[in-house]
Amino acid sequence: MNGQSTHVLLIEDNPGDADLVRLRLVQANSAVDVSCFNRLSDGLASIKEKSPSVILLDLNLPDCQGAETFRRVLEKAPDVPVVILSGQDDEALAVKALHQGVQDYLVKGAISSSGLERAMRYAVERQALLRSLDMSRKQQLEFKNQFLSHVSHELRTPLTCIHQFVSIPFDGLAGEVSAEQRDHLKTILKSVNQLGAMVRDLLEASRAESGKIRIEPRCVAIGELIRQAVTMMQLAAHEKQVGLEVGVDTRIPFVHGDPGRVLEVLINLIENGIKFTPPGGAVTVQACLVQTDPDFVYISVADTGCGISPEARALIFERLYQDPNAVDNNRKGLGLGLFIAKELVSLHGGRIWVASEPGNGSTFSFTLPLYSLAKLLRPVITSQERLRDDLVLVKVVLRPLSKPARASWKETCQHCLEILQRCVYLDKDLVLPPMTTHGAEETFLVVASTDLERANIMMARIREQLGKVSDLNGTGELEVSASAVRLPDGAGQSLEEQVQGVAGAVTEMIRSVV
Amino acid sequence: MNSHADSLCVNFALENDKMANSKIMIVDDDPDLRQALRLRLRANKYETVNAVDGYSAIAMAYKERPDLIILDLGLPAGDGFVVLDRLQEDDKLSAIPVIVLTARDPQANERRVLRAGAAAFFQKPADNAELLDVIRASLNRAGTGTVLPS
Repeated sequence: MNGQSTHVLLIEDNPGDADLVRLRLVQANSAVDVSCFNRLSDGLASIKEKSPSVILLDLNLPDCQGAETFRRVLEKAPDVPVVILSGQDDEALAVKALHQGVQDYLVKGAISSSGLERAMRYAVERQALLRSLDMSRKQQLEFKNQFLSHVSHELRTPLTCIHQFVSIPFDGLAGEVSAEQRDHLKTILKSVNQLGAMVRDLLEASRAESGKIRIEPRCVAIGELIRQAVTMMQLAAHEKQVGLEVGVDTRIPFVHGDPGRVLEVLINLIENGIKFTPPGGAVTVQACLVQTDPDFVYISVADTGCGISPEARALIFERLYQDPNAVDNNRKGLGLGLFIAKELVSLHGGRIWVASEPGNGSTFSFTLPLYSLAKLLRPVITSQERLRDDLVLVKVVLRPLSKPARASWKETCQHCLEILQRCVYLDKDLVLPPMTTHGAEETFLVVASTDLERANIMMARIREQLGKVSDLNGTGELEVSASAVRLPDGAGQSLEEQVQGVAGAVTEMIRSVV
Repeated sequence: MNSHADSLCVNFALENDKMANSKIMIVDDDPDLRQALRLRLRANKYETVNAVDGYSAIAMAYKERPDLIILDLGLPAGDGFVVLDRLQEDDKLSAIPVIVLTARDPQANERRVLRAGAAAFFQKPADNAELLDVIRASLNRAGTGTVLPS
C-alpha cells in the first residue's frame, strides 16, 4: 500500500452501504480506487480484468448468500485477500470464514473509517506473508528432493567402488582366499547391498512423497508373480531356516498392475516377514478373491514372527517408522520400505493394511484391481446391441534368439506392440495390454471379431509388418498363431451376461495358450 | 619350410586370440572404477582399453575400434550423451554396442539413453553376472565375439 494505489473490489448490493464504504475508504486514504458490483457473479467476473488488491465482500447478495459466498470468492481468487463486511454479527460464521482462508470478518456499523482502512491494509500484509511462507515451503520441498537425488547419486560412486573391490577377491579373481576370509568378504558384500538398498529407498521415498513415481500397468498373472517373488527370496528364507510357502488358487484372475512395482511390494513384505520370524517359523504368501469386494484380488503375506503391538500397527506405514521394541538381529533399515509399499499399492488403486497380535505373527495384506476383460471386450464383441458370431484369439510371440540386453529388448517389444495396434481393425479387434513375461519372451494377444479364415489374413499382415522390424531381425523370432474361441451358449441371457460369459471363455483360452 | 610352418602357427594362434578376446573400451572418469572393471573383464578373457572423458572416448574409439563400449554418463569434456551422439553420427563407429553404466537414476535416464542408441542401461553398483551376460549377448549380436562358456 506504500503510496501505490489500492484497487478495492467491493461486492455489496445495498447502494447506501456501498457509498458509505467508498466514502470512508477515500477519506482514510486518497490513493484508493473502489469498483463496486452488486451481484457476486459480476464481481467474480471482474477479478481477472481488475486484479484487485483486496476484496470487500457482503454475505447477503441477490445471487448468493452466507458461507457459499466466500467459498466461491476464495475458489475464484485464492491469492487475493478477502475481508467480509457483513450486517450480521455471527461469530460462528466468522470463525468458519477465517478457517477457510478469509482474512477478516467486520461487522457493518461497528467500524470506523480508519479502522476499516487499517483492517484492509493488514489483510493485504497477512496474505502476502502467507504466500511467501507457502512459497518457501514449496522451495524447501523442492530443495529436499534435489538434495536427496544429488546425495543418492554421489553415494553410489564410492558404494560401487567398495562393491567391486570386495567382489573381486570374493569371486577369486585376486588369488586364493581362505574360507574364513571369504566369510568376512561375504559380510561386507551383504552390508554393501543393504547400503545400496537404503540409497535406493531414500530416493524412492522422496519421489513417492512428491508424487513422482510412475507405474506402467499391464495384465499380470499374479500367481506367477508371487511364485517369482518367492523363488527370489527362497535363499534368504533357507539361510534363516524359515519356511516360505505359497498358496495361490490356480483360478485367480489377472490383475491390472505394474509387474516390477508389484514385485517390489511382494519382496518387501516377504523380506520383512523373514526378518521378523524366528528360525523354525514360516512365511506364507497367498492370493484370493473376497466375495464382498469382487473387483480386487487380495494378496497376503503372513508370518509366525513376534507380531506387532497395536501402537506400532497404527504407525507402521508412516515413513521413517521403526518399531523400537522389534527384536531384529539383522539390523534395522531406514524405515522406508512399508511407506514405499503403501505408496505403490495406492498408485495401483489398492489398499494395504496389517493384522497382528503380539506373539502371534503378523499378516500384511494388500489389494490390486482385477483386470476386467469383460469391460475391455464389450465394444469389440458386440455390434448393435448383440454379440458378434465369431471370435478368434490371435497369439503373437516375440522370442529373442540370444539373451539380449534386457532394456533394448523391452524397447523392441514396445515398438512391436505399436505396430501390432496398426494391424487390427479398431472397432472389431482388441490388442490386449501386454501380459507379464517369463524371461525375455513377450506375448501379445489380439481378440478378433472374425472367423478363422479372415484371421489368417490378419496374421499374414502381422507377420509381414512385424517381420520388417529391424530390431527384431537377427535378434529374435516371431511366432503367430490363432485359435477360435468357443462361445458359450448365451440363449436367454442379457447382453451383459453374454459379455461376461464370453470374457470367461476368453480368459480360459488365454490361460491355455499362454 | 620349417619357419613357414611356424609362422602359420603363430598367425593361426593370433587369429584365434582375436576371436576369443573381444576388445572392450571402458569410459569412466573414476580411476578406481576403471581398474575394478578392467580386472573383472580381463578375468573373463576380454581385452580392455580406457578412456577418461568424453573427448578421449571418441578419439580412442577411432584409434582402437573396440568391439564394445562401457560408458559412464557423468564425464568431463563431453558427457555420456554427447559420446553416444558422436558414436551414432559416425558410420564406422555406430555399430559398436554401447552399455551405459552410471550412478544416475534410471527413471530419468534409461529411456533417454536407449533412444540415443545404447544397447543397455545399468545403474551402479551393477550386478556383475548380469553385466557380463549383457556384454556377452551384445557382442554376439554385433557378431564380433565368440560365445564364451558362462
